[in-house]
Amino acid sequence: MLELTRITAGYDRRDPVVREVSLSLAPGESLGLLGPSGCGKSTLARVAALLHRPYAGTVVLDGEPVRGWRHRAPRAQRTAVGVVFQQPRLSADPRLTLRELIAQPLRATGRRSEVADRVAGLAPAVGLTPELLGRRPHEVSDGQLQRACLARALVLRPRWLICDEMTAMLDASTTAALVAVVESYRRESGAGLLAVGHDRVLLERWCDRTVGWQECSGPGAPQESMSPTG
Amino acid sequence: MKNDPGPTAPVLSVRGLSVRFRMRGGRHIAAVADAHFDLAAGECLALVGESGCGKSVLASALLGLLPGNARTSGSALLDDGTDLLGLGERSLARTVRGRRIGLVPQSPAAHLTPVRTVRAQLEETLRELTGARRPALRPAAEQAAARASFPAGHLDRYPHELSGGLAQRAATALALIGDAPLLLADEPTTGLDRELVERTVDELRRHADGGRALLIITHDLAAAERIADRVAVMYAGRIVELADAERFFGEPGPRHPYARGLLDALPERAFVPIPGMPPELGALPEGCAFAARCGRADDRCSVPPPFDGALACHHGVRADGEEPVHA
Amino acid sequence: MAETALGHPLRTTRRIRVIASAGIVAAVLLAVLLVPPLVQLDQQAVDLAARLRPPSWEHPFGTDDVGRDLLLRCVYGLRVSLLVGVVAGLTATVIGTAVGALAAAFGGWTDRVVMRLVDTFSSVPHLLLGIFIVAMFRPGVGPVIVSVALTHWLSTARIVRSEVLSLRSRPFIDAAISGGASRGRVVVRHLLPAVLPQAGLAAVLMVPHAMWHESALSFLGLGLPTHQASLGNLVQTARGSLLAGDWWPTLFPGLFLVIPTLALAGLAGAWRERINPRRRSELML
Repeated sequence: MLELTRITAGYDRRDPVVREVSLSLAPGESLGLLGPSGCGKSTLARVAALLHRPYAGTVVLDGEPVRGWRHRAPRAQRTAVGVVFQQPRLSADPRLTLRELIAQPLRATGRRSEVADRVAGLAPAVGLTPELLGRRPHEVSDGQLQRACLARALVLRPRWLICDEMTAMLDASTTAALVAVVESYRRESGAGLLAVGHDRVLLERWCDRTVGWQECSGPGAPQESMSPTG
Repeated sequence: MKNDPGPTAPVLSVRGLSVRFRMRGGRHIAAVADAHFDLAAGECLALVGESGCGKSVLASALLGLLPGNARTSGSALLDDGTDLLGLGERSLARTVRGRRIGLVPQSPAAHLTPVRTVRAQLEETLRELTGARRPALRPAAEQAAARASFPAGHLDRYPHELSGGLAQRAATALALIGDAPLLLADEPTTGLDRELVERTVDELRRHADGGRALLIITHDLAAAERIADRVAVMYAGRIVELADAERFFGEPGPRHPYARGLLDALPERAFVPIPGMPPELGALPEGCAFAARCGRADDRCSVPPPFDGALACHHGVRADGEEPVHA
Repeated sequence: MAETALGHPLRTTRRIRVIASAGIVAAVLLAVLLVPPLVQLDQQAVDLAARLRPPSWEHPFGTDDVGRDLLLRCVYGLRVSLLVGVVAGLTATVIGTAVGALAAAFGGWTDRVVMRLVDTFSSVPHLLLGIFIVAMFRPGVGPVIVSVALTHWLSTARIVRSEVLSLRSRPFIDAAISGGASRGRVVVRHLLPAVLPQAGLAAVLMVPHAMWHESALSFLGLGLPTHQASLGNLVQTARGSLLAGDWWPTLFPGLFLVIPTLALAGLAGAWRERINPRRRSELML
């Protein structure tokens, strides 16, 4: 299970953007979180990916309570969650080729011997040719770069996947292609998915269930009947 | 199949417009090749396609905003016969931008001057474009704001104090001041929520209904469906289909296999991607640029299909679903 | 188009400037590296019969007040000044990059303490601080390098710190952390490579600056021992003869200081333009 309970988080303690939000996700389940832009759903996605420490609330990952965020989270917990962000340009190190970009998590976790095999296996799955793998981010389109970012998120075979507005910048065909990649990975691995976005039609088509931002965030009150329980 | 623009000349008539970029090492990139279309008053044409297909380059060419390494050919005539591609920077700035063509920008937040209120920016543009002077300026600014449904109570705010929707309206108000007969909206809905997308395109539609010609450039097919009278689909720098919006999005649907694929990729339809990726503009194949991804490709596709005013495909389907005889 | 008509000559003059700068820097390096081993002349050779000769075929730059050839003295002087400039500039950049990167990477109170320290150092005029440092040692190349290096890492530290801070909040760092990268790996693999072009530029810009400081210290009599030919020393000893109307012992060392430093600064400027993010893709697809 990936359980977030009464999370309050943000960038200013006096005015948090996320207030008492609760969510829970079963293994293999896909959940769409719908909300208007600027509502704080991206912050919540970062909390769930152990990248942003909340002011209050608890995150339980596979039965293990999360005690630290970012570098303070144990590596095994961090790498259990793969994450894809909205803007591929900002989420790729501009100096790395796409091949290196995808291989980074393997190198960071001391599994460099697997690089050649894993990249060779993932690249065709996300639709990248060997020629594209040799290029740097400024030499490819947004769609191609996002394909590489998705491959990077999958390269460690995470049990959980968080897609934060993954397709907001992309055209219809690339969107459908990336969603198909995520779904085929989930079918084969049984990973759970939290897809965050503002496009109701897309999320309802993609996910087992969708919840609105309003439904899972309490107005600061302790009892909120709409919160899914874990 | 061409839409009859009526007795008057079209507001914009584009013929054989091509844009080539000269790159380092003597390479050339054909970002736009041989674009043809007409746009009449009161009509909205949506130019759709994946990012990188050349649609923004086309818009920049019309406004004379291409970088120095670009070369254009063909013509883009306004209704009085002025060729936009032949004008120098000076006449574009003095007589075209704002006066003949209003630009609704992609990111209004970046388009507005951050240190001045909306009122100050409206008044300045009014002074510049209409020659209005005090005391007529103040009511004129309020009127201009009202035309774009920008609330008068927010006129004294700075751009950063506005929500995304209001900033978009402020930018639209600025674009409308010169009373330009042609409005050009370049990806006006990128990054906006669905609700805001719908509000923005509805407002743009209102201006087309008011008698302006509207060219909207977008990769958002849902926005295009909501606003457009006609749709031009661009692929790898070429317009491959130009169709009536109702027929395109409804029955019988698009005729070009790429356009069909694009619609089928929508989550409200089949949600199936087109296989493969578009070719690089610097390394286009000899024949049809879509052939490599096309299920119908055969040896006819080794020569580039000519654009007949509605379709550029050797086997685009007719209204009845049968393959046409022309080759 | 109008843009091309404007853009082209601009690009050409810039190119000429860069090529000229590169040429001067190359000539300086060749002179400094090759003249001492190849030209078997003693720059210290005193010839009291040929004191304060104006420029001639025999002595193109003239001679000084004890009859030493000024061209040779200038080349040797440039050699010393350049050595001081390069070593001090590099040392300052390494210190600045390390301090700035660590302060930003650790954040919290480490950052606050370090940056207050930087502020405190910055509030003292750095020439004064430099004088204070050299005054604690005997005159020599070492103390001058230490003095210049210790007073010039502050601005680099500030630049690197703000650069790292802005990079740290980028999604690609988040992605690296999520991919299991350790703190050290994030710094070494993602943050440092991103700030190195900036730091390298700071180092190149620092070289002429450090050369001027060496000259200033020597001119004040606090830098290198007076018998050692450095550009500052040459100007300093020539002061007396300038009052007597002998211009060449001041002018030539002065030019040797000004022209190479301007050329270096010109090259650094071209580099800055290269790494500037403003230079985005020429296509606007």
